[in-house]
Amino acid sequence: MFFVLLFVGSMAIAQEVSFEEYDLDNGLHVILHQDNTAPVVNISVFYHVGAKDENPNKTGFAHFFEHLLFEGTKNIKRGEWDKIVASNGGRGNATTNQDRTYYYETFPSNSLEVGLWLESERLMHPVINKVGVDTQSEVVQEERRLRYDNAPYGRWREQMFVNLFKKHPYRWQTIGSMEHLAGATLEDFKEFNQKFYVPNNAVLVVAGDIDTDKTKKMIQDYFGPIPRGAKIVRKEFVEDPIAETIKTKYHDPNIQIPAILMGYRTPAQTERDAYVLDVISTYLSDGKSSKLYKKLVDEQKQALQVFAFNGSQEDYGAYIVGALPVGETSLADLIAEIDEEIVKIQTDLISERDYQKLQNKFENLFVNANSSIAGIANSLGTYHMLYGDTNLINTEIDIYRSISREEIKEVANKYLKPNQRVELEYLPEAPVQN
Amino acid sequence: MKKAIYIFVACLLMQGLQAQIDRTKMPEPGPSPEINLQEPKTFELNNGLKVMVVENSKLPRVSIQLSLDNPPILEGDKAGVSTLTGSLLGNGSKTISKDEFNEEVDFLGAQINFGSQSAFAASLSKYFPRILELLADAAINPNFTEEEFEKEKAKLITALQAGEKDVSAIADRVESALAYGKGHPYGEFTSEETVNNVTLGDVRKFYSDYFVPANAYLIIIGDVKFEEAQELVTTHFTPWTKASPPSFSYSKPSDVQYTQVNFVDMPNAVQSEISVQNLVDLKMKDEDYLKALLANRILGGSGTARLFLNLREDKGYTYGSYSRIGNDKYAPAIFRATASVRNMVTDSSVVEILREIDRITKEPVTAEELKNVKAEYVGGFVIALERPETIARYAMNIETEGLPKDFYTTYLERINAITAEDITHAAQKYFGTDKARIVVTGKGSDVIENLEKLSYNGKTIPMRYYSKTADISEKPEYGADIPDGVTVESVLSRYFEAIGGKAEVDKIQSLKLVYEGSAMGATIKLEEKRTADKYAQTTYMNDSPMMGVIAKGDELFMKQGGNKVPLPPQMQKDLLAFMGIFPEQGIAASGLAKLVGTESIDGKEAYKIEVPGEAVKATYFYDTESGLKLKEATVISMNGQTQNQEVTFKDYQEVDGIMFPSLKIGTMGPQLMESKLLEAVINKEVTEADFE
Repeated sequence: MFFVLLFVGSMAIAQEVSFEEYDLDNGLHVILHQDNTAPVVNISVFYHVGAKDENPNKTGFAHFFEHLLFEGTKNIKRGEWDKIVASNGGRGNATTNQDRTYYYETFPSNSLEVGLWLESERLMHPVINKVGVDTQSEVVQEERRLRYDNAPYGRWREQMFVNLFKKHPYRWQTIGSMEHLAGATLEDFKEFNQKFYVPNNAVLVVAGDIDTDKTKKMIQDYFGPIPRGAKIVRKEFVEDPIAETIKTKYHDPNIQIPAILMGYRTPAQTERDAYVLDVISTYLSDGKSSKLYKKLVDEQKQALQVFAFNGSQEDYGAYIVGALPVGETSLADLIAEIDEEIVKIQTDLISERDYQKLQNKFENLFVNANSSIAGIANSLGTYHMLYGDTNLINTEIDIYRSISREEIKEVANKYLKPNQRVELEYLPEAPVQN
Repeated sequence: MKKAIYIFVACLLMQGLQAQIDRTKMPEPGPSPEINLQEPKTFELNNGLKVMVVENSKLPRVSIQLSLDNPPILEGDKAGVSTLTGSLLGNGSKTISKDEFNEEVDFLGAQINFGSQSAFAASLSKYFPRILELLADAAINPNFTEEEFEKEKAKLITALQAGEKDVSAIADRVESALAYGKGHPYGEFTSEETVNNVTLGDVRKFYSDYFVPANAYLIIIGDVKFEEAQELVTTHFTPWTKASPPSFSYSKPSDVQYTQVNFVDMPNAVQSEISVQNLVDLKMKDEDYLKALLANRILGGSGTARLFLNLREDKGYTYGSYSRIGNDKYAPAIFRATASVRNMVTDSSVVEILREIDRITKEPVTAEELKNVKAEYVGGFVIALERPETIARYAMNIETEGLPKDFYTTYLERINAITAEDITHAAQKYFGTDKARIVVTGKGSDVIENLEKLSYNGKTIPMRYYSKTADISEKPEYGADIPDGVTVESVLSRYFEAIGGKAEVDKIQSLKLVYEGSAMGATIKLEEKRTADKYAQTTYMNDSPMMGVIAKGDELFMKQGGNKVPLPPQMQKDLLAFMGIFPEQGIAASGLAKLVGTESIDGKEAYKIEVPGEAVKATYFYDTESGLKLKEATVISMNGQTQNQEVTFKDYQEVDGIMFPSLKIGTMGPQLMESKLLEAVINKEVTEADFE
């Protein structure tokens, strides 16, 4: 057999992402990564503010703000931002999630200074006015329609999280409430800016074809003069454990095939258990030989699709497992089949061979995670801001490598019990005969 | 002291440095970075397979791409055979079972995927030899079984069914079908019917006809030496039998004779998908290829282009509006200017898109636009070099598109030489508003009325209707089926008769109705109190009041806890049309209602009456036989958000001479709730205090 011929040890990979990090006097954390192989540079700024920092009566602010901050600054007229990026041959964008807001540009390396100027302007003196708020408000509403209301299965996350979380702000979505946004005043937005958009709440990453010394000087020039803001005090939200299965339904007019989604509340992404849950989801549903895919899609033909993933976040995560039925299969059948596999992990150790397979998969992911300058910048900033350890970019693989089979069983028992979960039946609209 | 001075000087120096930067202007970029265009190493096997290797050892991984550059294939009444062939490939080989194959690929942490005329694999470099071997074996000796075939067929049919309500998927399908015609490889699409025509024999034939090495390219990128790759490829791909695919010619599609709207009705759409499109004859080797790309880029190729700035940034109609221009060496390609817009602004969006197309064909682009778009292309070119795949793609384009060898080395130079005049010429040649097909996929009942009035440059744009399968169809008639003599008045008076007679209804001074149901594990009670001109509604959750709505005179407010929250005046105005002991009294009095047609509700024919409004729009359905109300559908728009509610009424029962539905089944947002009539109290228990 060919299997025997393969040597599959945990061969150490000679790969390390080098970086340098320091703080400016105003508290801005800077991370530099030099790689001169291609004439490309990435400038990324992370702000430690996401949907979870919002007031429950003002949801959607963090994401709305991301839109607003493209509207212009004291020195960049409205509508000029994207033109400047484009006219320097660059591209950029921004994203907001529950935990952070992230702005980035990639340029040919001769435009590094332009990028630093842009991002320092955004932090130093953005223009927040009515015109901008009104325009972006329309755009955000269209975004909601496109991504949530008109998209098949577009609201599963909303429906799951509102049931998984009762106290924590993870219970609402980053897109937020259109009514809250419509009711917001200019003052509200200015206040939000003053509170969260301060250098001591931000991380700047510059990666790629740079000269480290020159880059440091430019960073000091552009970001140094920005005043430090007040210290941000964050509230802590502790959820009560889910003791009894929460069963819920949602009807989506954009779908024809129902789905069952089961969600378990999991610990903060920095916890070791969260890494173990990543391994479990890979075991269950990643690849054609994974347990759930092989059984439900391939052999028993009960599911069109099956998925399991661990959505890691700063305070709590959500482990989601689910499937779309084929033909006559009921959602209850799918639940029973999925549970059977989870019970197996909880009862027996996974096989040695499966364990080795998981190690190979995570090694592959690790190598591919650092394949672009923009990807490296994103990882560096995220690891620093949300994990408190920039060097995880090089060492996270060791955590996965150190997870034992016994630990997998233990963690499956701790978090994946039926009474600790939300069962969401995501259904087509009730049949109306026409 | 010395130290202090040093710090002082350093501070001065710092200040000096800071003073040098001028924040008010964009810093000048440095000199352009040097571009280094590597070339892949190549060789060819006797069977015709061409191989390119790009050595890049930055990361310990290798990717393998196999592409068959075959002419387009018409699948006809067996459309879906190519998809099924793709799904059946990569399921092991004649000597390795599917399970063993998948298990080994997964075990190595690698991936291998097949398309109907392609394959891709990626792995860590230490597993490259084995992965290449597996890929070659699966490609050359496929394992087609009846069992897998039936399974993939069932999956494909389920997926097709799933897509039938996906507005953007339907829009894409119809846009292509209309542009090329359904008899062209680029216009045909797969349906449940055509999939059912496919047999395993068809899949085998498709494979043996088309999965052949004559037009095949194998591209290997990553941490591998050329010599090693050459040896492995020669070993594993030499057994691939030499053959060429059959070639057919197809009738050339043509544009419409005059600009028209082609409308596809999707009743579940909350946005309209717009595509203003025409065919273009454009190949990469054409002299004006880059000019056409730049023209499109200025019009709608990015978030700084005209369409985006106009429809999103200026008007806020959409999350994004873009245009694309394709190129194809076998057939005409499509130019499309697109947007997904909210129903209300569908017609205005079409007009804005047409205006932008016209403008770029008539007026020269500005020097700034030209400069910026060139910079975008140059930047994109430079940034793409970060990926080793780029080098392979360029080499393959040169080969397959018949480009000159220096196409990419002179690329930046040629981009920079393009003039504003060149852009206008390209725009005139490739875009236009005279023979454009404007495909709109959306909710007819909301958008048709305005779209029909659509005019551009003083001319009305004719409209044609198409089905979801791109067949010409009738205009969806929302009111053609009303018998003569039936009017809003007649339907409403029959309703009053049915519930107890107009005389009885008129005697009622006040009414209290209580319904109870359960949702989210709680008991929900809905209490309504009505007089001729006042209305109060209270929702109880487990017997404690959760929310109330009160309307009287020109007041409308919501009560939540102890708070009174006024609702928008527009809503108050709209709700006037529903006041009365029964909303039908208000509807009859308002004169706003329209009888729009009939519809079947749970198997019963019903007349459909629409009451328009800006904030509250309602549609009521009355049984054509019994006269009773069967359903209410309400659309509430507030602060830009829209909410749909539907209630169906069942099992009418008599209380004090008046018929009330004993069962209400409602959808409110996501929830489906069944509630039962607890109480109907006439002329008692309603006081002024209920409306405070």
